[in-house]
Amino acid sequence: MSYLLTQLVNGVSLGLVLGLIAVGFVVVFKSTGVLNFAHGSVLLLGAYLVARLHPELGFWGALAAGVAGAALVAALINTLLVRRVAEHDPGVLAILTIGVDILLLTELTRQIGNDVLDIGAPWGASVVGAAGVSLPASRAIAAGTAVVLFAALGALAARTDWGLAMRAAAADPDTASLMGIRLSRTSAVGWGLAGALAAVAGVFLTSYPTPGVEPGVSVVAFAAIPAWVLGGFDSVPGAVAGGLVIGVAQALAIGYESELHFLGGGFGEVVPYAVMVLVLLLRPHGLFGQKEAIRV
Amino acid sequence: MRTGSGSAWEAVPAPGAPLLDVDGLDVGYNGAVRALRGVSLQVARRGVVAVLGGNGAGKTTLLRAISGTLGSAGGAVTGGTIRLDGRDVRGLPAAEIVRAGIAQVPEGRRVFRDLTVEENLRAGGLTAAPRTRSAALQGIYELFPDLAERRRERAGLLSGGQQQMLAIGRGLMSRPRLLLLDEPSLGLAPQLVARIGEIVTEINRHGTAVLLIEQNAVMGLRVADSAYVLEVGRVAASGPAEVLAGSDEIRGRYLGAGAGTASSADPGPDDGREPDTGPPGPAAAVRAEALKVDGVTVRFGGVTALADVSFEIEPGTVHALIGPNGAGKSTCINVLGGAYRVAAGTVRYGDRTLTGLRADQIAGLGVARTFQNISLSLDATVADNLLTGRHRLMRSGVLGGALGLPRARREDREHRARAERVAELLGLTALLGRSVHTLSYGDRKRVELGRALCAEPTLLLLDEPVAGMNPAESAEMAATIAEVRRELGISILLVEHDMPFVMGLAERVTVLDFGRRIADGTPAEVQRDPEVLRAYLGSEAA
Repeated sequence: MSYLLTQLVNGVSLGLVLGLIAVGFVVVFKSTGVLNFAHGSVLLLGAYLVARLHPELGFWGALAAGVAGAALVAALINTLLVRRVAEHDPGVLAILTIGVDILLLTELTRQIGNDVLDIGAPWGASVVGAAGVSLPASRAIAAGTAVVLFAALGALAARTDWGLAMRAAAADPDTASLMGIRLSRTSAVGWGLAGALAAVAGVFLTSYPTPGVEPGVSVVAFAAIPAWVLGGFDSVPGAVAGGLVIGVAQALAIGYESELHFLGGGFGEVVPYAVMVLVLLLRPHGLFGQKEAIRV
Repeated sequence: MRTGSGSAWEAVPAPGAPLLDVDGLDVGYNGAVRALRGVSLQVARRGVVAVLGGNGAGKTTLLRAISGTLGSAGGAVTGGTIRLDGRDVRGLPAAEIVRAGIAQVPEGRRVFRDLTVEENLRAGGLTAAPRTRSAALQGIYELFPDLAERRRERAGLLSGGQQQMLAIGRGLMSRPRLLLLDEPSLGLAPQLVARIGEIVTEINRHGTAVLLIEQNAVMGLRVADSAYVLEVGRVAASGPAEVLAGSDEIRGRYLGAGAGTASSADPGPDDGREPDTGPPGPAAAVRAEALKVDGVTVRFGGVTALADVSFEIEPGTVHALIGPNGAGKSTCINVLGGAYRVAAGTVRYGDRTLTGLRADQIAGLGVARTFQNISLSLDATVADNLLTGRHRLMRSGVLGGALGLPRARREDREHRARAERVAELLGLTALLGRSVHTLSYGDRKRVELGRALCAEPTLLLLDEPVAGMNPAESAEMAATIAEVRRELGISILLVEHDMPFVMGLAERVTVLDFGRRIADGTPAEVQRDPEVLRAYLGSEAA
């Protein structure tokens, strides 16, 4: 029983981290209509900066630098590339981001080499436990941080001018510009926000029990894509829910791998995609995607 | 009037100079189509200027040029100047033009549907100084009490009239010096059109200049001090509003025979508008079947949009569904077309039950529709949009088409020939190769009708086919619809506000109000019904 509970708690934590990444996909998609395949390498960049800088700046300084760096690079990808492309075809823009992803990932791989960089998190390898469940401290902190970030994001979107401008621009960019909303700014903010969230997720994906920062981390980030799709592409709560579904499913599949042996080894890695296909068969609009409620 | 936020008014240079000065404006689309040629226009401080003209005259293009939003439609200013208070605003991005003091209320309202009413208004006020916003919001709620009542509701759930009020209120939230209104009375019942006119006057009384585009020339000329008439991208006439309203040419072309006070009972121009006798030529055999709507109820959340509505359309007739905004007309057409589910009741077409079928299944039974808010593929050509309508009749599959098999090629030729015939019937032949986003609103309406006809329906559902057309154009559309009905032997259900149009065309009329049927009968019977007069034309008419 406590084994099951441990797997579930682990899954929720992983799910919330995937949610941070998936929300980034949603925000970029809503603010610019782009499927951002460079998201994984931006995440890796954030984690890389933290790992490289923490010996000099201390962990918190490095964290701030990593988050700012990832946000800046994401915003620059938007301003310098995406918005300059005259072709607004979503396919062309998606391929553009794949190109950026390859360039960024290649450079980061060259920098990291064969090393596995320590993220230098102060919580290290400590373990917390309660009610028979023991959990790495990093997983508990990840879950708490994600919840706080989601709540802050929700409050900003609902209550501030900034949030209103973002939502209006996402709903109808042409009309939003008639309200004086600067689309160059809302889209840069959307990308920057996605980058910042990715950097935070990157730190948790490379904390104990994971060994550290190495190029493969950007691939782990792709498990957030099924979470995003499950959530219905354009829903922030949907992305969080999608993350939780994928995270729990993946944790259970890994935790009970020995019983699932008939499916072959390493099933945990394909679970996100298997779950995505299953859910989409039953709910083609995703968990939270809605058929638009419009007067036709 | 001491409403302006002080400083904005003190910056005024010469008191006699116009607020907006457009001089020799040229606009082209995609480097090819020339939409405006040498247009010059002035709006005085606190003036109200109306721009009249048929569809495709360039009215919306003019507003888009001023507000800096031509780019997203593929247009560009190629010559001339646009000055606001002496400052050159041509070429500024839309967001900066708003900050300079020009707000545009776009055509088709364009409210943010998923945001609440209050959030829509707040979005409009994002450029205003934070401390002035709550006063501005209060002012809007005083002007539009309906909006105050529904401030927490999602804007997409408002009726068309309320959405228009919201769009105007949202435009005013930035406290503009000049408000651009693009067709504010489009698709609204007569009562609301009059109300919009009063609102324009009220806004102007508080010191805001207004540049108004209106198909409803009667209303436009009533509220404006001066007016311009655009024809194929040029200013064809201009002058004080009352002078233009008195000109015979303007009256004939834009005010329609039904305009003016004396002839308001006249059901409109008589020429070519007698659907029962019609022009010569044998009428086709009736192919349609009877449509029976029986006790239909539709609910959205807690709101009952249609309550126990019943009516019947005789095969081969034109039936009209009228009522004020929010009466449930569009809901009704959406039920017939399969977009909405009923909570109770049935719809039968011939011996088939339509309720419970999907939209594509209903289309397969020969029921085609057009949409109130035009729903076309904007980047595709007119010809391709028409061919889309023939989809249900296409027999050869994707593979056959891709391989260019002879049978598929022959079928393709046939479909194109049918689409061309429909285009001819609707006067669209010259536009077949144009992409839809370069067309005016009125032409798009005709393309939509064409697409529906290409499906060879036996029952055609038309949602506001003449919204946004001037009297001459709407008379032309009436003649087209009558001819379509006669030549093809189909039934037609019309949802429309334009009373002369409906009364001249329909054999039978059903009137809805607040989701209930309040009358049903011939146009003459319905027109005499006191409850209809009260609900539809407003209390002063009853």
